[in-house]
Amino acid sequence: MFKNLENYLEEISHFLSGREEREEILSEIRSHIMEKAAQEAGAASEASLARVIAAYGKPRQVAEKYFDGRPVIAPGFERHLFRYTTLIFAIHLLFIIFAVVFKKSFIVFPFLFIPRLGFIEAVMYLPAAFLSDFGIVTLVLYFITRSGKEVKLPWPKFALDLDEVKAADAKTLASRIATMAGAGIMLALTGFGISLYLKHHSIFFISFNFKKFQPLLLPKPGQFISLAILTMIAAGTIVMFIKAFGASRRLACWVDAAADAVALVLIGLALHQPYTTLFAVAIPPRLHAWSHVSFIFTLLFIALMVAIDLVKNLVRLGRKRLQK
Amino acid sequence: MDNELGSIETEMKRGFLQLLVLLLLEKDAYGYAMVRAFRDLGYEIEENTLYPLLRRLEKKGLVLGKWEIGEDRPRKVYAITDAGKKMRQELIGIWKKQDEIINHISKENKNV
Repeated sequence: MFKNLENYLEEISHFLSGREEREEILSEIRSHIMEKAAQEAGAASEASLARVIAAYGKPRQVAEKYFDGRPVIAPGFERHLFRYTTLIFAIHLLFIIFAVVFKKSFIVFPFLFIPRLGFIEAVMYLPAAFLSDFGIVTLVLYFITRSGKEVKLPWPKFALDLDEVKAADAKTLASRIATMAGAGIMLALTGFGISLYLKHHSIFFISFNFKKFQPLLLPKPGQFISLAILTMIAAGTIVMFIKAFGASRRLACWVDAAADAVALVLIGLALHQPYTTLFAVAIPPRLHAWSHVSFIFTLLFIALMVAIDLVKNLVRLGRKRLQK
Repeated sequence: MDNELGSIETEMKRGFLQLLVLLLLEKDAYGYAMVRAFRDLGYEIEENTLYPLLRRLEKKGLVLGKWEIGEDRPRKVYAITDAGKKMRQELIGIWKKQDEIINHISKENKNV
């Protein structure tokens, strides 16, 4: 018994756990190392074994040679990992928005339970939701891979194929000038919006006779919705400037993603306001129900668009990290 | 460039080594003796590659391994099976075909 050889085999054994033929493999390696040490040094000793062990390779590398190299998820399904995670997370996100807005819990038995959530709780819940969606999709694809069956996984074409989101092509001089002009217009728009907001705490005004303008929304909801819109416009301006000056696209993605996240928070806060305190102008009673539904629908639609943009940006950032 | 060459060489060796083992096992041999035989032929292999390969060939029924108690320590001696011999003939045929293709292209193109 040589201690260094037994320690070495013990380490290999650790990485071979779960394999039926583990003892047989270890016996083969022991036999080879003892044979080589004896042949090279006349007789096996701790010192001669140490040299042979070093040449044989690191325990993990040795153990991995016995695995068939079958991937956890077959290469043909790797795209589906992104696709399905994105799709399920989008549905999950929608349920979360419903749970917050309608103050209800949802059960999609046996897969999903979303409790009644406050806005901040919902924001805290999002990363866990994403990870659970990612985990479920990974698990399903893992079992499909293990089954070895020829499975053609479907992908609905009506949805936005986030898997095929591509980075923008390199800019030509003409397109850079156009981007610069666009950035200038966006800057003017942002400046105007900010100055309006600083004066009146809102960017939404209405005029019934085109002479006198008055705020459309009450101060608090007006503030949230104005800030959400301004954040998106300001982020768009920054992103355009970053693109115009050819700076890092990654930075543009981060700015865009951060602005999306802030906009979602602000839209959520706006949705949280009781409807009766929303408008600063009198609305005919017959239009109450209609305006209620259309207001909620509009904000939910904007939230969905922002959420899709956020996921797109995260996909872009994630892909760049993977490429590295 | 060296890295690229290394990885392509590894891929080429993977198939070639299987054929080489089946050829070498015309006579029964144990693992370490095979490594030395390869070395004598000027063909270096990583020792830890041979045993997983022999195990895979054993599972496919191309090779048969048997433990023998020789001298002072047990050794696993490998022998080629009938299925292994048949496979060896098939592989040699493929090898010759590939060799012919390369020779044919080399003759037609002096740059190759």
